[in-house]
Amino acid sequence: MRVAFNLNGRRVEVDVEPGEILLDTLRLRLDVRSVKRGCERGECGACTVLLDGRPVVSCLLLTAQVEGREVTTVEGLREDELFGELVDEFNKSFAVQCGYCAPAMVLTSYAFVKRVVEGRSRPSTSEILKAVEGNLCRCGTYPRVLRAISRVLERRLPGEPRR
Amino acid sequence: MYYRLPKIEYFRPKTLEEAVGLLEKVEGSKVIAGGTDILVDAKTSRVRVKALVDIGSIAELRGIEDLGGAIRIGAATKLQELLESSAVSENLPLLRAAVESMASWQIRNMATVGGNLCNASPAADTAPPLLAYDAELVVVGPGGSRTVPITKFFTGYRATALGRAEILKEIIVRKAEWTGWNYIKLGRRDGFTLSIVAVAVLARVRNGTVEDVRIALNSVAPTPVRAYGAEEMLRGREVSRGALERAAREVMDEVSPIDDVRSTAWFRREMSYRLTLDALTKALGAE
Amino acid sequence: MEAARLGISKLGGADTLCRGSDPVAARHFKVSSITFRGAVTAEDPRSVLRRWLEAETLLVVGRSIERADSLEKALGRARFVEDFLEEGYLVARLALARTPHARLKAVKCSPALRVSGVLRVLTHRDIPGENQVGYAIPDQPLLAEGKVRYYGEPVAVVVGRDPDAVNEAVDLIELEAEPLPTLLDPLEAMERRDVLVHDALDSNIAFRTRVRKGDVEEGFGKADVVVENTYRTHHQEHVYLEPEAALAIPDLENRITVLATIQYPHLGQKIVSRVLGLPASYVKVVAPYIGGGFGGKDDEGPLVAARAALAAYHLRRPVFLYYTREDSIQVHPKREAAVIRYKSGASRDGRLTAIEVTIVHDTGAYANRGPFILWRATMHSSGPYYVPNAKVDGYCVYTNKVPQGSFRGFGNPPVHFAVESQMDQLAEKLGMDPVEFRLINLLRPGNETLTGQVLESSVGIHEALRRLAASSGWRAKRQEYGQLRAGRFRRGIGVAVAWHGNSTSRGVPDWSNAYIHVARDGSVSVYTGIVEMGQGSPSSSHRQLVAEILGCPIDKIRIVFGTTDAPDSGATHASRGTSVGAIGIVVAAGRIRSRLESFLSEYYGVERDRVEMSRGQVFVDGEVRMSWEELVALAYSKGVDLSATGYFFLPKGTFNEEVGQGFAYPAFSFIAVVVEIEVDTCTGRVRVLEVHPALAIGKVVNPEAVKTQVEGAVLQGIGYALMERLVFSADGKIVNDNLTDYVIPTFHEVPAIRDAIFVEDLWEFGPFGAKGVGEMALIPMPAAIANAMSHALGARILELPATLERVYSIARQTCGG
Repeated sequence: MRVAFNLNGRRVEVDVEPGEILLDTLRLRLDVRSVKRGCERGECGACTVLLDGRPVVSCLLLTAQVEGREVTTVEGLREDELFGELVDEFNKSFAVQCGYCAPAMVLTSYAFVKRVVEGRSRPSTSEILKAVEGNLCRCGTYPRVLRAISRVLERRLPGEPRR
Repeated sequence: MYYRLPKIEYFRPKTLEEAVGLLEKVEGSKVIAGGTDILVDAKTSRVRVKALVDIGSIAELRGIEDLGGAIRIGAATKLQELLESSAVSENLPLLRAAVESMASWQIRNMATVGGNLCNASPAADTAPPLLAYDAELVVVGPGGSRTVPITKFFTGYRATALGRAEILKEIIVRKAEWTGWNYIKLGRRDGFTLSIVAVAVLARVRNGTVEDVRIALNSVAPTPVRAYGAEEMLRGREVSRGALERAAREVMDEVSPIDDVRSTAWFRREMSYRLTLDALTKALGAE
Repeated sequence: MEAARLGISKLGGADTLCRGSDPVAARHFKVSSITFRGAVTAEDPRSVLRRWLEAETLLVVGRSIERADSLEKALGRARFVEDFLEEGYLVARLALARTPHARLKAVKCSPALRVSGVLRVLTHRDIPGENQVGYAIPDQPLLAEGKVRYYGEPVAVVVGRDPDAVNEAVDLIELEAEPLPTLLDPLEAMERRDVLVHDALDSNIAFRTRVRKGDVEEGFGKADVVVENTYRTHHQEHVYLEPEAALAIPDLENRITVLATIQYPHLGQKIVSRVLGLPASYVKVVAPYIGGGFGGKDDEGPLVAARAALAAYHLRRPVFLYYTREDSIQVHPKREAAVIRYKSGASRDGRLTAIEVTIVHDTGAYANRGPFILWRATMHSSGPYYVPNAKVDGYCVYTNKVPQGSFRGFGNPPVHFAVESQMDQLAEKLGMDPVEFRLINLLRPGNETLTGQVLESSVGIHEALRRLAASSGWRAKRQEYGQLRAGRFRRGIGVAVAWHGNSTSRGVPDWSNAYIHVARDGSVSVYTGIVEMGQGSPSSSHRQLVAEILGCPIDKIRIVFGTTDAPDSGATHASRGTSVGAIGIVVAAGRIRSRLESFLSEYYGVERDRVEMSRGQVFVDGEVRMSWEELVALAYSKGVDLSATGYFFLPKGTFNEEVGQGFAYPAFSFIAVVVEIEVDTCTGRVRVLEVHPALAIGKVVNPEAVKTQVEGAVLQGIGYALMERLVFSADGKIVNDNLTDYVIPTFHEVPAIRDAIFVEDLWEFGPFGAKGVGEMALIPMPAAIANAMSHALGARILELPATLERVYSIARQTCGG
């Protein structure tokens, strides 16, 4: 079946099996390799993409379900200023080890940071944890990811942290 | 790739009526809404699927509405929408607490409240609060529409009262005055995970007396359950430590847990007591 | 195979063992004193190492320079094995046994072959070379032959045009097999002789170890307090986020290239060539970026490579072999499950007098690296303490379960759980503070280890623990939490120390090597077999070592890692990426530096010590003379050789297996951690609140990178200690083979991990004195958590993991809520 959607700001049309999973369409048909296969049951978050700006796991989505919608991966954010700032902080914070979870980790963090920056609300630590917990990292970069997110928030939303 | 689904057909009806028609007509068809349960089941062949009827974009199944005397939640409403809804946080704080404890942001952006109920996992997180609220489920099928009280919805392990080609349309929760509520979920880790046991409590206490109380649990029986016996022991009673402990002990007798990879039955029973006691203590203001 | 089996069934059989199961290598055993050494010149490896060990001013080494791989990884540009899959490649998946123990008569392939799109089903019959991949003992087939020994054992490789076909076909593979009784409990398996996992043996004991030091009877006679317990630990699953995969590409001349999730490409090359019956030179193995290894891809990596290569060899087309997450969990070896009986005694003055230890490892269906793991556990079983009298016996026991294998810590986390639990109990009986008691017994330079090896230097643990006790506020918190031992929520603080031998054990050969080439434009290529699996050696420390030594700008350096095109640098395991694994890089870079210095000395007509190369410039008497690029161009024009290898063969001593005495390891890394926890006595929930680490690991090449290794290991340690648990069914199947049912720590489980204290107790052969660090923090974590729990509860946990249920069962009597 034909499915048309926006991928990183460009309209794509693909011919897929009705039972095809978005993760496979992205990796195998559209050459989007930043989206990683981890557990294939929505537990690890390595295959996270943004669907209309919200993070979802692409291993539990039929490609057919994204008809007409906007799918964003890190490939589509390379020109985005906030994204660039976040990636820079990931680098400076040593928040990447093996890197298999990294694109998804950055993507979820970006969606969250963008949201709170736009809403001008400083999140609590537990809100940050709730936002990023769906991305597992076995290397244990969690403290560094939190550091990177906090540094961006400190710069973008100066002032005391909300409790 | 590793789990590309077997050959299936995919339908995306625009209306509920059309969806019911498809379910009736297409052999081996199943409903997909958020997909976070059915796709795992299909990938691992736990459920045989020949066709999927996607109800995720049917407008009448979406949205949260304050009807005045009740809150209406469309079955295909995403969990994250529940979390962000002021109607839910103001009127159904118990439900909100359960949803907050549930899954990851990614999954909440996909999974629907109706899906969580219809999947009928014993560990369903939205079930205890909705059982406690005595929610009514509006079901639509070939024979028209009917209302099923949620307390009659779960009929057995992963089984529901839904008939052939029936779809859960919406959840109605009547507003009532509760003075306290509490939701406690115990899992193997603090991060998102399935529960070992979770308990939801709603209470109305006046002048130190329990006017009404509802207790519901998950992961302690083939279905999410209400603890009617314990509720009955408390109704009309004065709030006291002893009364709460007796009620919590009654819950231990009402549940029928099993051993699995998350816990033994013994520990589940112990935690049914502990979490019920803790939740009652908070909800009844007995601290 | 038969002879080798008999060989290992008696004591002393360890002589036949070595990393990589090369029988030839055993001949090097006990002859290291006559190892060939070239003429001693400025390019002599020892001279080079000593020069940089003694370097006074370091500009690059010791600084937290950002990793070279973060950006490309975060931006999704870094390529992992599956990212090389292209349209048109064939795909393959393993068919696994669905029975734990059976005599295998035939693999029934025809139903699978009837699936449209399936091209071949390969079984042991299709292996052109040897169907033998055991690392320590030749007991393991690549594909089951004659017998199935565990549920999930690979029996066939199904190759097809697309995953749908292959997935369907895999389910159709049936075995014609006669079921045999199943052994799941190692203690039972040790006793049974009527049921044998390996028929050629006369028991289920794959390997034994022993230590006999002093006189334990006498030692216990001198003890004023004695503690005896049995400790149990469990399997741990690696859960690297990237499951195993390999892409094998054949060429027309029967040569083959394999990209694989592997921690030691040269070992992969050896196994592939053995299985295919090809010379090693026909096989190239490459590890692109690896999505986490932690030891698991050290064991499974070469096998994944070999199975993919087998398929490509037969089909003569590129084949991509993939493991699903479930396949991965069912098939690959796990952290050792151990039963440890431990008796130890101490005198009133706080000195250990004797230990008596029995270690039983459940090695599962195959020895895999089990003998090495047991050997390491045995020789570390005293902890880093001076123990005059010791009797230790180790048994590596076959059962019908998934094999035991390498996992960060390699035998040491369970044994330290036992030792460090004992130490706390002895201290308590003596009425001593646990830190004080440890300080009395900790090894110091000049002390003898459990195996009688005298450690002359690089023993900084005493200082590390002293500083840690001060910085963590140990004394005050220990007292404060102890007094608060009431109510539902209890705080506890616990300590544990650990040691971990660097390099392979005994005389088992270990070496380092690298090749460095400086191009005309001044850019530097460093070829190493070390892989990048997250630990950061190629991405950070290797670059720093080369930049320091050559004095060139760090961005001129490119590390070409994880390839058999580089010299064999040894595996990326055993915390060796930046230590042993990088010695070759130091030697090669040092040689080039030395040539450039000689050249400059001659060119300027000055003594060598007046020439300095650093920060991308050449100085003579402190004055800038030219840039790095100008130097390289000039050197090229004057005939200076700017390519060098850096082979270094580690000197070792002898070991007597009969009594377990002798040279065990060339150096030891050390760590101490203090852990603060909170326990909910009414639910059994343990939360780790704070972790204070202190390490004695020689030179710290990149402090921030090291801290991230510590943090990662702490988290894996928390998972192992508190929640991770594989559950086996009655027929030995792993029940929780997915990430819903097997849980690992998330963001929520992260404690406050304090900045690590570093004691730089330099090791003479380490790069700038560096020892290994990657595994260290995991080793003491379970013990430290258990000790903190005991402090909080006044009751002790003897079996891991400390699940809510187990903690609740010891805490509920005191549940005050």
